Amino acid sequence: MSHVVLNGVTKRYGAQLALDAVDVSVDKGEMLALLGPSGCGKTTLLRCIAGLNDADAGTISIGGADVTRMPARKRPIGMVFQSYALFPNLSAAKNVAFPLTVRRRERKETAARVEELLALVGLEEHGHKLPNQLSGGQQQRVALARALAPDPEVLLLDEPLSALDAQVRTRLRDEVRRIQHQVGITTVFVTHDQSEALAISDRVAVMNAGRIEQCATPPEVYAAPSTRFAAGFVGNRNTLELPVADGRVAWGGAFDVEAPSGERALCLFRPEDVEIGADGPGLAATVDVKVFLGAVTRVYATCDGTTVFADVPSRSAAGLEDGQKVFVRVAPEHVQVFAA
Amino acid sequence: MRSRIGSRVFLALLALYFALPLVAALLYSLATKWGDTVLPSGYTLHWWVDVFSRPEVSGALGRSLVLTAVTLAIDVLLVVPAAYWSVVHNPRIGSVVQTVTVIPFAIPWVVIAAGLQLIVKDTVPQLFGTFWLLAAATAAIAFPFLYWAVENSLLAADARRLSEAAATCGAHPMVTLVRVVLPAIRGGIVSGSLLVAATAMNEFALAKVLVGTRYETLPLWSARVFTSRTGNDPNALAVITIFTFGLLFALSALVVWLGRGKSASSTLALARTSSSAEKG
Ligand SMILES: Nc1ncnc2c1ncn2[C@@H]1O[C@H](COP(=O)(O)OP(=O)(O)OP(=O)(O)O)[C@@H](O)[C@H]1O
Ligand SMILES: [Mg+2]
Repeated sequence: MSHVVLNGVTKRYGAQLALDAVDVSVDKGEMLALLGPSGCGKTTLLRCIAGLNDADAGTISIGGADVTRMPARKRPIGMVFQSYALFPNLSAAKNVAFPLTVRRRERKETAARVEELLALVGLEEHGHKLPNQLSGGQQQRVALARALAPDPEVLLLDEPLSALDAQVRTRLRDEVRRIQHQVGITTVFVTHDQSEALAISDRVAVMNAGRIEQCATPPEVYAAPSTRFAAGFVGNRNTLELPVADGRVAWGGAFDVEAPSGERALCLFRPEDVEIGADGPGLAATVDVKVFLGAVTRVYATCDGTTVFADVPSRSAAGLEDGQKVFVRVAPEHVQVFAA
Repeated sequence: MRSRIGSRVFLALLALYFALPLVAALLYSLATKWGDTVLPSGYTLHWWVDVFSRPEVSGALGRSLVLTAVTLAIDVLLVVPAAYWSVVHNPRIGSVVQTVTVIPFAIPWVVIAAGLQLIVKDTVPQLFGTFWLLAAATAAIAFPFLYWAVENSLLAADARRLSEAAATCGAHPMVTLVRVVLPAIRGGIVSGSLLVAATAMNEFALAKVLVGTRYETLPLWSARVFTSRTGNDPNALAVITIFTFGLLFALSALVVWLGRGKSASSTLALARTSSSAEKG
């Protein structure tokens, strides 16, 4: 059941089109990640849902009610900002209580709810502290608790983890997911970090230049990107531009696949899908250099002046020498082909 | 090492330069007689008692305090909401306001006063020569100090983001202003207010042109005594100079102490305005 529905949402800043007729829907209890490069309109889209930006065209509904013209403070949403935006003069507990006090909830009920939320984000001990007495990770937990306090229908997160260092970031990322599951709240999560998006969302919407290019589950987006942009943005791929002949495109003996119409085609494939063998079949190549990454070793190999990279299990890579002649091949089902 | 000594000497000279006139005035206000010796020949509180027992002085002091309070009230009530609106809701009016804040510094206050006089005579003659015109004019020339301080603290506190966060929490803009924004910018309001108070307390040109003897403030009284033909009264002037300075200094020290160092710069800035306003 669709909980949040956006229909043709368009937003311009002067001559610039920040959102170009975006259609997207989020199911009840689902976590949708908005993934895309800087400036593609993720924040703008989230702010339109929150009511902090007015859409120039299109409609937004939450739980079946049209909220397009509703001010932010009346929408059933909770939002977490990248910069936390905690109220500096209020303690952590008072910050969490704020949405409840402005709704004039009963004092006892508020206190109980605040305690429950601080426990949910693991900050029972820190309720009395002011925001500047908390670490970045703790501040972000308070912001999350504050957003959840009034029991909103939709939780909106704008790059909530990007101001944190790598370790805290992964931990808090998994925690956000746990809390989201536990509360069962419909969530839209903005990020430009693909591993973050793939790790914790139910579906990923890949955005580019104000449009959603693909909206699918993380495995689908990872394995079968539907557009050239999605293929290039999600994951790390080899990209080759090759000529088309008789409706097919081939790279020596490495692969031979069907091609779209046009004279040239763009072929993308993942490093872990590249096989490197001492014997054929395949395309003859030379090993340039090996980079040890732990479980896998990244092998750079060149043939006809084109370099590709392959992730090979480190055990098999141990047998490869720099400068060694090898054969490269890619299974056809692992090659994504787009018109060039 | 050498440059450190150099900078200390420089600082000491600077301190001396600022402190000497004050020390001299202080000594003068306490001197029995100060002729051709380096220091006065004796000390007394006579001048202090004498000055403050004159009804014209206590009257002028009272009028100056009333003027300061009214000016402050006008500025705080007008400037704080305006700065909030321009920073949080409509940054476009910010540049207009910025331009306006330069006017009191670009045009001499005497000229502003004369211009006001002309306009008011023709448009609202009832206001002509009244206290209210003086208060409005003083508020108008002093407002930039408050505007800058408030705008800075709004930007520093990221009031825009805070207001958006409050909106997503369901808070009405008025609730946001009172419960979120004002507490976050208290330091700026207070230090800006101090500068406004110092300006109003020491302002001379506007008072002279707009109200003259009809509403004699402390600076007007000082000027009258200073230029009086029947013999000026330097000891009394020294008392009033030290008193005004001490009052503002104590006020700003109090603010610094209450703000625990947050607005430490206001004391210096205050001393600067009070001495420059004296000249005007
Ligand atoms: N207030 C504004 N005024 C003018 N242009 C804006 C404004 N806000 C955003 N834009 C423009 O709209 C486009 C989308 O911006 P948006 O902030 O939504 O990007 P984003 O995907 O969130 O990027 P990032 O990952 O860097 O946060 C950008 O090109 C930006 O320059
Ligand atoms: Mg953004």
